[in-house]
Amino acid sequence: MSLEIINSYPKEKRYTLAILQDIQREHGYIPKEYMEYTSEYLNLPLSDVYSIATFYKSLSLKPKGKYVIKVCNGTACHIRDSISILKELQDILGIESGETTEDGLFSLEIVNCIGACALAPVMLINNKYYGAMTKEKVKTVIEDLQGVSANV
Amino acid sequence: MLINIDGKMCKGHAGETLMEVANRNNIDIPSLCYKKGFEGLGRCRLCLVEVKEGKRKKIVSACVYPIKDGIEVITSTDEIIKMRKDIILLLLLRSPENDYIKELAEEYGVKSPKKYKDQKNDDCILCGLCVEACEKLGTNAISFVYRGITKKVSTPFDDPSKDCIGCGSCAEVCPTNAIKLREINGTRTIWNRSFDLIQCTVCGNYYTTAESLKYVEEKLDYEEDHICERCKRKAMGSKFKESFQNIY
Repeated sequence: MSLEIINSYPKEKRYTLAILQDIQREHGYIPKEYMEYTSEYLNLPLSDVYSIATFYKSLSLKPKGKYVIKVCNGTACHIRDSISILKELQDILGIESGETTEDGLFSLEIVNCIGACALAPVMLINNKYYGAMTKEKVKTVIEDLQGVSANV
Repeated sequence: MLINIDGKMCKGHAGETLMEVANRNNIDIPSLCYKKGFEGLGRCRLCLVEVKEGKRKKIVSACVYPIKDGIEVITSTDEIIKMRKDIILLLLLRSPENDYIKELAEEYGVKSPKKYKDQKNDDCILCGLCVEACEKLGTNAISFVYRGITKKVSTPFDDPSKDCIGCGSCAEVCPTNAIKLREINGTRTIWNRSFDLIQCTVCGNYYTTAESLKYVEEKLDYEEDHICERCKRKAMGSKFKESFQNIY
């Protein structure tokens, strides 16, 4: 366990979220042991840390896939039929939003707005923006990513 | 400070909430999430009352409203009853099978419209009294988890919590009896964890868990006799009687 991230923070309650965000960034999710260590380190009840970790959508308790697909369903994207993009992704990957494919390659999420309304409907894969999506484009993007991983 | 509640002049001091003053003066304000000894949580919103301050009037939650000198409070107007009915309807849709909520709905004549069938049936109304009680005890075994429609009260990871002492305070304060506490053959099960119960040395009834007893003893740094509340009161009573008999 690399605990330096946690140990670098002062032992104050107000750093709980910052610590959890760092763990999320490092591991892609928040492992149970890390949550327990955080609660011990900050001298906070585990129930408090768990409460915070489950409250925020950007924190995950389950390991995420190699590619995290965030489909924007903000107002602009919703009007531009982001739901059909989501449905297409669900059909191709065989998972619902919030789930991860069995091979651990893709995770699917719905997010509210990623501030790229001009590109609506938009999706985000590991911090890369894919704008003006269509069903066909979704297919190509996913096939490309599957191809990349298969060749590695 | 003097305030007028439903025509009755009531004394109170700065920092007190309306609910506290009303309770002391035997004025009933309906509520689910208010419990004496706890600060107002303002979650169930049933304690809505009308407050008149000079010419202005507004509707506030009595359990979280700090009193001001000279205010006039009306605990029940047509407007307030209508608002309470709306709140009760929402509670009824959330907990259609719960006896406490059903009773409340009946009292206010609230019926759930047919178009809202297939609602989930949850006894918990998320008032958070249990979380508050656990925190006050210092055990902090349960908390609110998740958010929005998935919000609930739970132990971390839904696992049996090592912080839980099985005292049952959460179940005790719950206004809708949503927390399941089972006692069979000297074992208490609560929040997915089982506890061995301790017998009272006087009457032999099971009355608390070993963990609660240990927790109290460590806090007080004092080892207690294993006697239940009822037997303690009984012993205290007879002691009292004896000492008075000696006087007269």
